[in-house]
Amino acid sequence: MKATILNGALPGDSFVDEAAASLQYRLHANGWAVTPWTLRQEKIAYCLGCFECWTKTPGVCRIDDAGRQVAASIIQSDLVIYLTPVTFGGYSSELKKVIDRSICLISPFFKRINGEVHHHARYRRYPAMIGVGVLPGTDPEQERIFHTLLARNAINMHAPMHDSLVIYRNQEAGSAAVALRGILESSGRVSV
Amino acid sequence: MKTPKSALLLVGSAKLAGESTSEALGAYLLQRLAEHGIATETRYVARAMRTEARIQELLQAVDRADLIVLAFPLYVDSLPYLATQALERIAAHRLAQPAPSPAALLAIANCGFPETRHTAPALEMCARFADQAGFAWAGGLGLGAGGVISGRSLAGLGGMAHNIAAALDLTADALAAGQPAPEDARDLMERPLLPANLYVWMGDIGWLAQARQYRALTRLAARPYGQG
Repeated sequence: MKATILNGALPGDSFVDEAAASLQYRLHANGWAVTPWTLRQEKIAYCLGCFECWTKTPGVCRIDDAGRQVAASIIQSDLVIYLTPVTFGGYSSELKKVIDRSICLISPFFKRINGEVHHHARYRRYPAMIGVGVLPGTDPEQERIFHTLLARNAINMHAPMHDSLVIYRNQEAGSAAVALRGILESSGRVSV
Repeated sequence: MKTPKSALLLVGSAKLAGESTSEALGAYLLQRLAEHGIATETRYVARAMRTEARIQELLQAVDRADLIVLAFPLYVDSLPYLATQALERIAAHRLAQPAPSPAALLAIANCGFPETRHTAPALEMCARFADQAGFAWAGGLGLGAGGVISGRSLAGLGGMAHNIAAALDLTADALAAGQPAPEDARDLMERPLLPANLYVWMGDIGWLAQARQYRALTRLAARPYGQG
C-alpha cells in the first residue's frame, strides 16, 4: 500500500513537520510505502488557470516542475494526507498550491454527483483522503470549515473514503500523537 | 463599518489583467463605488505577489484603503494559491500593527459549476480572514456558472448579466453608506445565469472545441500517470 503525505507547513513550523514525521512513522511501521512531500522545500509554480492540462496536454500540467511529480504521487497512492496549519479554516498556501495543480487528475467534463455538478474522474481509482489540520487551540468555526472543505475536496477528487482531524499546538505531544494514530486507525488505514 | 472614502480591488485570479471574470465583477463594483465619490484602486495578486517589494506595495495599498474588495475564482473549493498567500501576508501584516486601520472587507467568489453553493466554504474562509485580520466583514457574494462571463465586462453581456449588475448596484449603494452587502444582493447574485443542464452542455462542448483546436481530441481521456 502506498501513501502520499502533503506537508503544507510554512517555514519554521516544526509542529507540523513533527506531525508529518509521526504520520510517516506510523504508516511505515504498518508496512506502507510512504512518499512525504515537504512542499515548502520544493520548487513548484502555481496553477495558471489555463486548463491546458485538460484540453492541450490532457492529464499533464504545462509547467514542468515538481508539481507534476506530486500529482503523479497522489494518483499512484492508496491514501493521500493533506497536512496543514489551518488558515482561515482552509489550507496553507503551500498546500493549496499543489491542490490547485492536481486538477490534471480529473476530467474537464461535467457530471452530477448527489445532485450537484462536478467533474468526471480521469482515472479508474483514486486515493482515500485524510485531512489533518493544525490550530493554536480549539476554534469551532475554523474546524467546521476545515472539515467541510475536506469533504468537498473528497467529492471533487473522487476519493473513495475521507476523514479529517484537527490537532492543537497547545495539546500535549502524546495526545496529539494518539489523535494522529486514531485517524489512521478509524479510517481503516492502519491496524495497531 | 464606516463610510469608505477609498476602495481597493484585489483581483485574486492568476490570469493576466483584463482576462478574468473576477476582475470583470470587481471592476463593475468599483465603477459603481466611484460614482459614489469613493477613490478606487486595483491590484492583481498575480503581479503583487511576485516579489517582496511588490508585496510591500500591496500591504501599503491595503493600509490606505477603507474598503477591500477581494474578487477571486474558486479553485478546488477554495481560494486559489495566490489569493491564499496574499491573505496570509495581509493578516500577518495587520496583526503586527498595534492598531490596524478600521477597514472593511467584501468578498466576491465565482465558480465554474452552475451551483453557487460551491462557493460557500471559500466565502466562510474570507469571513474568518476578516475577523482574524481585524477587518469589518462586509459580506460575501457567490456566483455560479462563471464560465458564462469568461472575463468579459458585464456591460458587454447585456441582459444575461442583469441580475449580477443589479446585485452589485445594491452592494455598492450599501457599501457607500457604510453598510454590508444586503441579503437581496446575495439572492440576486445567486440566481442562475442559465439553466444548469444548458450550462453543462455548453461547457462540455467548449472543452471539446478547445481540445480540437489543440489537436488533442483523441487524448482527452489520457491517464499519463498509470492505471492504463
